[in-house]
Amino acid sequence: MLTSPDLAAHRIAAEPYYRPVGDEIAVFEAAWAHRLPVMLKGPTGCGKTRFVEHMAWRLGRPLITVAAHEDMTAADLAGRFLLDAQGTVWHDGPLTQAVRHGAICYLDEIVEARQDTTVVIHPLTDARRVLPLEKRGELIPAHADFQLVISYNPGYQSAVKDLKESTKQRFIAIDFDYPAPEIEAEIIRREAGVEAGLAATLVAIAACSRRLRGQGLDEGASTRMLIHAGRLASGGVGLETAVNAAIVLPITDDADMRAALRVAINACLP
Amino acid sequence: MKAGEVGEVGAVMERPGPNSARLAGLLAGREGLAATFAATRRRLVAARDPAGLELWAEGALALLDANAGALGLLAYARLSEEQGHRLGGAVLGEVARAAAQLCRQAGAKATEAALQAFQSLAPAMDGPGERALFWAGLIRLAAAAPDCVVPFVGRVGEVWRAGHGADFAGFIEAGLRASGPATAHGRARRRAFFALEDDLALSLAGRIGAGIGFAEMEGELRRVLTALWGSAPQLQTLPPAGRDVPRRVNIAGPVLRLPDAWPGLNAPAARRLYVASAVHAGAHLHFGNPRFPVGRDKPVQIALATLVEDARIEHLAMQRYPGLARLWAPYHRASADDGPTVAALLARLARGLFDPAYADPDALVGKAQALFRAALGEIDNPAISREIGTRLANDIGQRRLRFDARGHVTEPAYRDDGLGLWDFSAVDPEVTAEVEMIVEAARIDRRAGEDGKADGPPERSAVGRARPVSAGVEGVVVATYPEWDAPAGIERADWVTVKAMPPSLGDGAALARQLEANGALRARIARLVKAAKVGRASRLKRQSEGHDLDLDAVIEVAIARRAGLVPDLRVFRSSVLTQRDLAVLVLIDISQSTRDRLAGGLSVLDVEKRAVALLAQALAGLGDAFALMAFASNGRGEVRVHEVKGFAEPYGPEPAARLAGLSSGLSTRLGAALRHAGAMIGGVRSFRKLVLVLTDGEPSDIDTASADLVADARRAVLQLRGRGIDSFGVTLDPAGGGEGAVGEGAANEATAIFGKANVLPIRRVEDLPARLSELYFRLARR
Repeated sequence: MLTSPDLAAHRIAAEPYYRPVGDEIAVFEAAWAHRLPVMLKGPTGCGKTRFVEHMAWRLGRPLITVAAHEDMTAADLAGRFLLDAQGTVWHDGPLTQAVRHGAICYLDEIVEARQDTTVVIHPLTDARRVLPLEKRGELIPAHADFQLVISYNPGYQSAVKDLKESTKQRFIAIDFDYPAPEIEAEIIRREAGVEAGLAATLVAIAACSRRLRGQGLDEGASTRMLIHAGRLASGGVGLETAVNAAIVLPITDDADMRAALRVAINACLP
Repeated sequence: MKAGEVGEVGAVMERPGPNSARLAGLLAGREGLAATFAATRRRLVAARDPAGLELWAEGALALLDANAGALGLLAYARLSEEQGHRLGGAVLGEVARAAAQLCRQAGAKATEAALQAFQSLAPAMDGPGERALFWAGLIRLAAAAPDCVVPFVGRVGEVWRAGHGADFAGFIEAGLRASGPATAHGRARRRAFFALEDDLALSLAGRIGAGIGFAEMEGELRRVLTALWGSAPQLQTLPPAGRDVPRRVNIAGPVLRLPDAWPGLNAPAARRLYVASAVHAGAHLHFGNPRFPVGRDKPVQIALATLVEDARIEHLAMQRYPGLARLWAPYHRASADDGPTVAALLARLARGLFDPAYADPDALVGKAQALFRAALGEIDNPAISREIGTRLANDIGQRRLRFDARGHVTEPAYRDDGLGLWDFSAVDPEVTAEVEMIVEAARIDRRAGEDGKADGPPERSAVGRARPVSAGVEGVVVATYPEWDAPAGIERADWVTVKAMPPSLGDGAALARQLEANGALRARIARLVKAAKVGRASRLKRQSEGHDLDLDAVIEVAIARRAGLVPDLRVFRSSVLTQRDLAVLVLIDISQSTRDRLAGGLSVLDVEKRAVALLAQALAGLGDAFALMAFASNGRGEVRVHEVKGFAEPYGPEPAARLAGLSSGLSTRLGAALRHAGAMIGGVRSFRKLVLVLTDGEPSDIDTASADLVADARRAVLQLRGRGIDSFGVTLDPAGGGEGAVGEGAANEATAIFGKANVLPIRRVEDLPARLSELYFRLARR
């Protein structure tokens, strides 16, 4: 066995900052109490991953994060045989590690993975709570502390990429959105180390960009982007430059859209 | 210069050259002309340019030869007198030769007018190139439309802009093109255009020399307004007006009307002014109130209340977006030096309310600032604007300052005309006349009305446009098909006759505009198209070559080698892009029931058309082969099909017009339509073939029971499937009922026909456009 049983590397030592915006912590804890799988929905950069880290720390469980991608196979999740000097040796995938040792397994952006890959999690997410490894002929019952969390951004995949109905219906869902302006400003102040006025300006800029969603922008500026802009600004870059570099340029390549965004941003800057 | 020298040179110049001599000879009999020309010549002689003098005389001869008449020659003489010292004889000669050319085409009167116009414009012309463009333009016009030269040169000052000679030529070309064929009607239009009595002409003239126009700014303004105020109002252009009339934004209900250009501003300045005006007007819509009733208010009261209201909403806007102060401040330039008029005072009041730090010697500005400051506590209440405005108006009244209601223009330039703030329906008759003046002063045609609809197009523009035409009742028989007789259990050969109907054209552009309105949906579909077009990379495992190792295969090789077996050496992974190879035929049900109106006032068919137009745009973007066909039936002898778009032709204005021209009527004999669709798509070469049926109910017809037609349609679907053609039904609830009130019958019948997996019931018909396109992308991936 190549993996360390206690998953020390996956434990979260210090409390990750998370500012609750609703009852999401209570819902997650209730789901954890019954080991129900949880689905976090919401736009990019609104705090889904941070929330999972915070909850793992709060519940004292190791957290194994897998970023899903188009080429991901079931073996990438469950594990595969590798070779060493003696012969073949089985190597647990991240999901199997979590199942064996009782970690929270977080599959980030699960829809990116192919649909045939995601069905691996089906037996884990109903009453059976088992992970069949057909290559080894093994059926692993989940550790009592194992919990599965997935994130899912319903915005931009639309009809092309969507979770199967049979997958969706196994999860408790928590809906995330960008926090209310005051809370978002507080988060930016705290994370980027900027003063309250600047944080409020950044939030106003984000509100402008979010209104343009669907009018040429796929997504408005995320909280994460605002924090980046705030960090640039507190690092000595001029605010306008910081906003341009952290928000306008990444968010769109369309010259007209950039021009419109700059007008709106100029209106927000003091 | 010494006196003797002058005399010497003068003597040389006085000896006339051959042209001068000939000119003198020809003019000999015409007393008045001869005297004028002699005087002009003497002035030119003083300029000591013998060669130029000869050319000048040659020009006069050219005019004489072209029969320019006494008036034309006099105009030339006047021009020479006025501009001779600046232009010199050679240039004047050149001008005269051009004028002579014009004269041959358009006559003496036009030549005289053109020379006069040139005389007034010449100081603004920038070198020989511009002069040549001016005359070339007029000669071009004279050649094509001689009757238009006189009215045109009368107003040429509004079209000619120094430094924009090419636009002048462009204007003339546009006018000649826009007037259409040279019928009596076309000629009248042309005359109106060149007399600048035509909207298009005014609009084009206004754009000459303007840096940037509404068309370039519309998208950006819409986005800026959405970003700042949450939603963008409809944006339109103001009706064109003469270029010297100051233009202000007009708010008409939910519509913002902006000038189509700001004459005289360069591109960055025009852009700034567009943004400043639009954001200001957007703030009115955002913070505004139900309109103030005019009641007994006097024009000066209205003007001042409008001014205070402008300041109020700007104050609110700047509270929210502090940067807007930088946007608007550059326009507040009024100061005490501007003079004692009420207009100047109003501009200073505007500045004082905008900028509390501004100090003005006039106590009224200070008073206004104090009143406004005192009212900041209830800045959300629009009533304060009227209250403060009335008090200020009284002060102006007591000073006996005259307010020019007719000439009143809102200042600064980015502010709207203020008419959108007032409800003119309840005007006290006593003040009506005065109020009418202020309304008229804004010089905007209010007939355009609150609903935002522009005036009906002028009568003449209806000509030459596609109009819905009723299709001939008789179609052409194109095929006969069998039909399944369910009760008898037999297939009746050649039972149903299909007729192709001639297309009727509708307004495809209107349909396209309706789609434009739904930007979010279009953006989503465009994204789907982009994603689908690229194709998904699909991974191929266990390949004999590829870009990386297939780990599982490698391990199996190693195991096989240790076990002493022959390994499978295909150990690579590669990826390929999946190619789309799909043909789709959309079958549109246009039976009588699609005439039903939905809650929004649209008919089911209207929604179907939009959905199909949206899908067609997406399909055209994807490059999939597709056809559009509509059907309705009138018994087995007459199943009508309307070919909207064939597989071979591209989706363009013509198919769009045919789609827009579909009209509802008759019944739904689905089986026959499906068989015909199958026959059409059967001839297309593609890997997958799909028939997408858009219907609003179960099959029915006048001569057969519905249940039998369902059974027949089911059989048609199975027959298609047997030939490798998939069919899919999208069913609309014909009753348009709300949630859950689906036409259960329709949905069940559809399931019976297409099979459970191949039916998409649409609960809200309004959702159809979105759902149909999404559905297509889902189906195309299967």
